[in-house]
Amino acid sequence: MTLLEVDDLHTHFISRDIDNRVRVAKALNGVSFSLEAGRILGIVGETGAGKSLTAQSVVGLLRPPAKIVGGSVRFEGRELTTMAPDALNRLRGHEIAMVVQNPRTSLDPLTRVGDQLVRLHQVHSDAAPAASRQRALEMMQAVGIPDPQSRARAWPHELSGGMAQRVLLAMALMNAPKLLIADEPTTGLDVTVQAQILDLLRDLVARFDMATTIITHDLGVVAHFCDDIAVMFAGSIVESGPVRDVFAHPAHPYTRNLIGATPERFRVGGARLLGGQPPDLYNLPDGCAFRARCGFATDLCRTPVPRTHVSADHVALCHFAGQLDAAPDAEAQA
Amino acid sequence: MSFHRFLLRRAIMVLPLLIGVVFITFMLVRIGGLDPVGKLAGPTATQAEFDSIRENLGLDQPLWQQFAIYLGNVAQGDLGESWLSNRPVLTDIRERAIISLELLFWGVGIGALVGIPIGLRAAFRPNGRFDQVTRVLSLLGFSIPTYWLGLVMIFVFFYLLGWAPPAIGRMSLLVMTPEPITGSYLIDGLLTANWDAAWSAASHLVLPVICLAIVSAAPIIKQTRAIAIEVLASDTVRYAHACGLPEKTVRKLVLRNSAVPVLTFVGTEVTGLVGTMSLIEYVFAWGGLGQYGLNAIISGDFTAVQGYVLALALFSVVVFLVIDIVVHLIEPRSELS
Repeated sequence: MTLLEVDDLHTHFISRDIDNRVRVAKALNGVSFSLEAGRILGIVGETGAGKSLTAQSVVGLLRPPAKIVGGSVRFEGRELTTMAPDALNRLRGHEIAMVVQNPRTSLDPLTRVGDQLVRLHQVHSDAAPAASRQRALEMMQAVGIPDPQSRARAWPHELSGGMAQRVLLAMALMNAPKLLIADEPTTGLDVTVQAQILDLLRDLVARFDMATTIITHDLGVVAHFCDDIAVMFAGSIVESGPVRDVFAHPAHPYTRNLIGATPERFRVGGARLLGGQPPDLYNLPDGCAFRARCGFATDLCRTPVPRTHVSADHVALCHFAGQLDAAPDAEAQA
Repeated sequence: MSFHRFLLRRAIMVLPLLIGVVFITFMLVRIGGLDPVGKLAGPTATQAEFDSIRENLGLDQPLWQQFAIYLGNVAQGDLGESWLSNRPVLTDIRERAIISLELLFWGVGIGALVGIPIGLRAAFRPNGRFDQVTRVLSLLGFSIPTYWLGLVMIFVFFYLLGWAPPAIGRMSLLVMTPEPITGSYLIDGLLTANWDAAWSAASHLVLPVICLAIVSAAPIIKQTRAIAIEVLASDTVRYAHACGLPEKTVRKLVLRNSAVPVLTFVGTEVTGLVGTMSLIEYVFAWGGLGQYGLNAIISGDFTAVQGYVLALALFSVVVFLVIDIVVHLIEPRSELS
């Protein structure tokens, strides 16, 4: 059975402006993806594309004025969008674990690190406190925290950023989750520490056999780390598929631009600059939202965009998916 | 840093502050145009009498000399004599400080006990009905002048309803005052099993305490709400939700993380309420330090004003010291410095 299945998810920000007129920002527009146990999915996209919002929608962490207005999220066949808050609470941190950015501010500043791990375990299981403490030390060991005994007594503010992120990983592992969602787990860390954390994450995913979603804007992370990729733009997944296929044959112009804008491309040539603003979510254009920034756009792009299968699992949201190589090259615009 | 060293350092830091306070009040009182000599001498006094009083008080000497003498005396614990009460200012202040502290303690204590839970509850549902109602109430508490509130309360609860005793001080004139131990009639009455005195003192406390509680609760509600809303929106609480911690645990976490800023605020509020205290004491004829200071200012009693301000400064210092120590006990990040 598919572990996580997200189908046509729509999340809107519904607010009122100063004249009390309802304003709707369509932040997620029909996001669909699925994740099998043991697979790693990378979600990439620019700021505001809806990556984090997708994660928050999936685990029911939306805060007003954000609201799921359509679609479904099924975890092991259970529908999450209509699940009671406390049932969802029992799932989070237990079967679905999250690693967030800003580890240092996310930990409870007034509780020792070890006690936070124990608390998380106690909340989701009926283990004896001593057993929880033992498990906390094991998990701290597993994430490579030296001398867990003494580190367990540390306060969060005494940890470095990398160490705090390791603690967050240990928190995530405490209850042996089936699904791990890592929302930009390396943002704000030193580059060397980033690499360590990613390597660690990859080892842990293999060792504990979790399905994993990693949200990032770093294509390098996806290339080295993930089995599948989903590229988001303006609240839609514009292209998804196995990492190898998507990187080798990007079918959506936005993906092509993204890959073309990596620093490596600037060195080997053929680099493209990603121009333009993200579209106004309050006022999305008809048809393809990427139209205004796309070098291939024609009048056809004003009509609803089909989901086009390039191959069996490689899907792109574009009228011209799979035909771009034949289309006139518009690279000159950059 | 060890606790003793912390206290020592704090004491050394406070010294220049206190000297500054003494200097500024000394000069302000003298430049302020108050002249007690006329009042002391009376309307029929001759110029010679004026001069001799001026000389007696040392007011004929240059200002800097007056200040030097005063500072020297203060350093030895002598705040001078009040021209009004003809007693040492220090004795006056000591006696009256306890009276004021009693009122302040109950007033702010009840204000905080009521205000903090209200603010928290409002924060958990911002813009809900409870929030909207309490917002209006705290706005009222903010904007009603203290003395007016006191007078209206006396009018309603004493004059119209007859529920409260008359606002003539801290105890009924018909009851024997209890043997002085602490200086608070209520506590002394309880300690000496003088129930009549304790009851009378308690009933006289009610109106001024409620008045002070209302005035102090209003900002506490607003500030607590703002602090808790900020904590609720913090990464810590977001992450707690992401970890699936039950609502009860999250609320406890919010409470603990709000405690330090709320306590700090209540502490600063206590020191800011001394002006309000003067007015409340005046309206209720309370006879505490606030009323003493106000009287001293009105009648130009230099030494009493200076002593009063110095006492307030010391009070603030002590309050902030206590806050720092309490914060240090709950907040692992803080250091005594």
